[in-house]
Amino acid sequence: MRIRGAKQVHYDSGPNMTPLVDVVMVILIFLMLAGSFGGVEHYLTSNIPIQAKGGVGGEPPPPGFIPDEQLLVSVDPDPQYGFRVVAGNIRVAGDAKSLEAAFVQKRQAYEATGTPASKIQVVLSPSGAIKYENLTAVYEAALKANFEKVGFAKSH
Amino acid sequence: MKKHMMPAMKEGGVNVTPLIDIVMCLIIFFMLVAKIGVATGADSKIEPPSTILGTKIEDMGNTLTLNVTDPNPRDESGNFLSRHLKQPEVRALIDGSTQPREIKIEQNFGSVTDQPLLRVLKAAVEGDPKKNVQPNPNFKVIILAEKDLQYSMLEQVLVTCAQAKVKNVNFQTRQVKAEAGAPG
Repeated sequence: MRIRGAKQVHYDSGPNMTPLVDVVMVILIFLMLAGSFGGVEHYLTSNIPIQAKGGVGGEPPPPGFIPDEQLLVSVDPDPQYGFRVVAGNIRVAGDAKSLEAAFVQKRQAYEATGTPASKIQVVLSPSGAIKYENLTAVYEAALKANFEKVGFAKSH
Repeated sequence: MKKHMMPAMKEGGVNVTPLIDIVMCLIIFFMLVAKIGVATGADSKIEPPSTILGTKIEDMGNTLTLNVTDPNPRDESGNFLSRHLKQPEVRALIDGSTQPREIKIEQNFGSVTDQPLLRVLKAAVEGDPKKNVQPNPNFKVIILAEKDLQYSMLEQVLVTCAQAKVKNVNFQTRQVKAEAGAPG
């Protein structure tokens, strides 16, 4: 019995892609295993060093240097609200949004007297017992209020 | 006259063209998005605080990540059993190590006090001729601290950074999305 098609010739339709697929798959698996993705890489930046009376690591200012205006923000732990902030006439406990609104008002008050935000240093003066999480909330509120220089003082 | 017809094209196997298309797209995606070979030494077990605001650092090669944790013992639910240790545990990739190593802030050897963290940071900023390290005034420190760390511990790291004249300190946080309609 004759099998039909047995003598038919098979033609390749193009170049052999198998080595390419092999190499590409190896590269893909390598990249998937070796690569890491920016999940938590998110930073709050402080450009002013920690401050204290007597100066920590500070250098003497150059002649003619006009120091920035300082807004000292006292941050203390609060058993009910997490944190309590006192800065001049600002009194806020636990609510980051109220604190942000108060900081905005403060900045506008400074600007009304001719002091731009770039010439104001917001210095957080925390209690040693305050949690980093609560301190970050205060720090973020100051940044959200468009203060450009936010830093820390030694604990009180 | 006999006509010479081209034989019918027969494929030798499965058509792999769509597979190659997709795989190539994936490779390009991974090459663009993935970060390869930049080991920051950040400890993934540390849970940093969450913030909406934040920036990204492009030049990660110019940074040192300090993992700052509270070494005091905790119970199973994470509450501190005591707070007798006053110095935080600081770990970082130093001297070409592949795993973060502990760097003490202060060590006392009898009457002599050593400050290993200050030495490391000063060497990074001012350079170290013995190790052929060039001065780098733009050196950045990234602080990855757990969210329930007390400021009294974080403060020691900040003071050491200031003493080493590190001008740029960054606090690593976990990004959360702003609520709809909220500012920022």
